[in-house]
Amino acid sequence: MSVPQPLRGRLAIAAGLSGLLFVACSEPRRPELSYTLSANSKQLLADAPTAQAQLLGTLGMLFGSPADPSYAVPEEWIDDERNPNSGLAEMSEARQAELVAANQRAFATAIAHVEKGEFALVAPAREALDLQADWAPIRAGYDEIAAGVKKGTKTQADLDKYVAENKADALALFTDWYPSLRESAELYRTQCLHCHGTNGDGKGSTAPYLSPAPRDYQRGAFKWTALNDKARPRRADLYRVIENGVNGTAMLSFKRFSPTQLEGLVDYVRMLSIRGETERRLAGSFDADEGFKIEAVQEEYLDVWSSWDKSDAHVIAYDGEVPASTPEVIERGRVLFNDATGANCVSCHGVKGRGDGASAMEVDPETGKPVLKKDDWGNQLSPRDLTGGIYRGGDRPIDLYRRLYAGINGSYMPAHSTIKDPQGNRKVTDEDLWAIVHYVRSLAQGKRL
Amino acid sequence: MSLLNPSNGWWTALAVLVAALLVLVTFVKYTRLWLVLLIGLVPVLGVWTFVKAPEWGLWFPEDVSTHGKGMDQLFYMIMWMVTFTFVLTEVALVWCVFRYHEKVPGKSLFTHGSHKLEMIWTAIPAVALLVIAFAQIGTFKRIKFENHWPTGGPYSAQKPIAHVIAYQFAWLMRYPDENGSFDSVDVVESPFDFVVPVDTDIMFHLKSRDVLHSFFLPNLRLKQDAVPGMTIPMWFKATKVGEYDLICAELCGWGHYKMAGKLIVKSKADYDAWLAQKRAELKSNGKADLSNMEEGQ
Ligand code: HEC
Ligand code: HEC
Ligand SMILES: [Cu+2]
Repeated sequence: MSVPQPLRGRLAIAAGLSGLLFVACSEPRRPELSYTLSANSKQLLADAPTAQAQLLGTLGMLFGSPADPSYAVPEEWIDDERNPNSGLAEMSEARQAELVAANQRAFATAIAHVEKGEFALVAPAREALDLQADWAPIRAGYDEIAAGVKKGTKTQADLDKYVAENKADALALFTDWYPSLRESAELYRTQCLHCHGTNGDGKGSTAPYLSPAPRDYQRGAFKWTALNDKARPRRADLYRVIENGVNGTAMLSFKRFSPTQLEGLVDYVRMLSIRGETERRLAGSFDADEGFKIEAVQEEYLDVWSSWDKSDAHVIAYDGEVPASTPEVIERGRVLFNDATGANCVSCHGVKGRGDGASAMEVDPETGKPVLKKDDWGNQLSPRDLTGGIYRGGDRPIDLYRRLYAGINGSYMPAHSTIKDPQGNRKVTDEDLWAIVHYVRSLAQGKRL
Repeated sequence: MSLLNPSNGWWTALAVLVAALLVLVTFVKYTRLWLVLLIGLVPVLGVWTFVKAPEWGLWFPEDVSTHGKGMDQLFYMIMWMVTFTFVLTEVALVWCVFRYHEKVPGKSLFTHGSHKLEMIWTAIPAVALLVIAFAQIGTFKRIKFENHWPTGGPYSAQKPIAHVIAYQFAWLMRYPDENGSFDSVDVVESPFDFVVPVDTDIMFHLKSRDVLHSFFLPNLRLKQDAVPGMTIPMWFKATKVGEYDLICAELCGWGHYKMAGKLIVKSKADYDAWLAQKRAELKSNGKADLSNMEEGQ
């Protein structure tokens, strides 16, 4: 068919426009995701390609795939009725009740439709894959009868009966919903993956452009917890970070999702972290002659789990009331902050707290030039400028107290509660720490806007 | 059902329609009928989408403020004026296409313009603008005039309930300490959540730390740019307990989308309890985390 010349341009535009429209309207593309080995394991197993495949297979058995993640359940847990695949069992009854209330708020529209028997108008959330799957048969039954009513083979009474019979189940689906790992992985895919990566190694596609870099969960190390001794985070620690974000970084607040969804994300972040740690250990224990030991797999897996179970014992709390922030206390804090033989914050954070102290630098062995020290992940890290009043780990005095007490896990900021004088006494007492906290908070005063 | 849901067949139907029309105008010789249909479709679709919008959930969110009514009335007034003009000009356009599609026999008219016509189409919009200008004075005054506080006097002289600080990329609400001071270590900070009591005149100061942001409460019909270096006093009164969107309405950098906060309207008692709890948290020694734990959390 020959197209007249002046119409060709228009035809091209028409084709282009409708093409664009079709692309915009089609279902979003969902690439198949799969877990891969971390750079660390690849390096350790560089000479053993079969071991790499073995490791990946083992991890697959322990943790499943991104499309269907699930933990392997060891036998003793089956006896204890411990189910690692749902965080719900770990929560107090009060928390579970809170989540039910949260579901009632989040699914208010769907619940209202179910209550009124308008099953045709109920649409479960897109990420909630299992919820959709559970809802589908109820809806299908309803649609079938509704079609029958139209054709005259069924009556309205049949439909009402069906609604009455299924209402309770339908309501429970929404109010008692707790995301499975699969559903949380789906939410993670849409919200977190572009920064934190499919494996949770912090190597998402946005990551190269961010400073600080997104957290690599695979070491099990998290910075902003309430814990001492570099303990693995509690649920509450992860929850707080995901809910509030990390102030002053690219890690944003996900408050717009319901508490139930956030708890699900906690489950999934923990899984990525446990998977990463298990992988690190297995790759580290690989022996070129003997390969992997089968017994070691179960042992390491349980060991990693147990380090996550014990975190509650490491919460930092202070015995007694928090000292008031009087001018005298703040002045005492200033002196302590600058005391080179004691707390010595000044060595890193600088005289004015601007984060320009000399101890933050080291000599680059290659160039011989001074560079910033690195954190455990190998990223250069500067001590915080304390005059801005932006604290990543939370801005309550107790949050700062915990930072000073335990240091910042994964960074080179030391735990000041462990600095001892030659007699073995603490150089910086708890009272000193509080004075420093009040001083640090006062640094931002008036400049905070 | 939302039209914006991409899995919705509506979009596909629309795409097919548009594509079909485009192909038609490309291949089919421009007949008068086609052109009239095509151009006539614009006002019809235009008006139809407006009529249908509330049904699709694309219309105004619930109004929970004392400002909202006046703002909405202004909006509707302007919308009716615009709709009238739009339909009128579209009808004229369709008529012209219909009437003058084929060359009318005879000599064309040559004109340098018409003074009278120009007077008319300058005067009519000018009058329309004047009408709008006068109509909005009352509403604007009530919401933005410095000296209009509901109980009298300039509202900038009131004690702000909080400082609302916009920065890349977050909202930070700072509530004063017990002595009403904002320059104190005991200031209560509430990131992203702007908590206020219901049925109370709320006055706050809006500031920006870095670039232009815009404070936008769709449910209260309140919007104001946050300008670095300026402290902008603002006020509103929320009339219904609940959680509402607080968004940044000025593209402020790559993380603009992160600036989604909440306006949380609480009863007076709940608000006081919330503030007291936030103040108590400043004195927390961390034991609360231990007792949570004993409950099994
Ligand atoms: C725009 C990028 C980005 C997105 C999207 C993102 N994060 Fe982050 N996340 C970060 C950055 C950057 C950090 C590191 C902050 C720091 O070092 O202080 C981080 C840190 C974390 C941490 C560790 C905090 C700690 O205590 O060490 C967790 C947990 C986390 N993110 C979870 C999530 C979850 C869950 C999601 C999705 C719901 C998500 N993040 C989405 C950038 C992102
Ligand atoms: C050896 C260097 C070093 C010393 C000594 C040091 N810090 Fe830090 N500090 C850092 C680094 C590095 C960071 C940034 C950590 C990060 O973001 O991971 C930091 C972060 C902080 C933060 C920010 C925490 C947050 O939530 O964002 C505070 C507050 C702080 N330091 C206070 C102190 C105080 C007070 C002292 C003295 C008692 C001190 N630091 C001693 C290196 C140091
Ligand atoms: Cu903004």
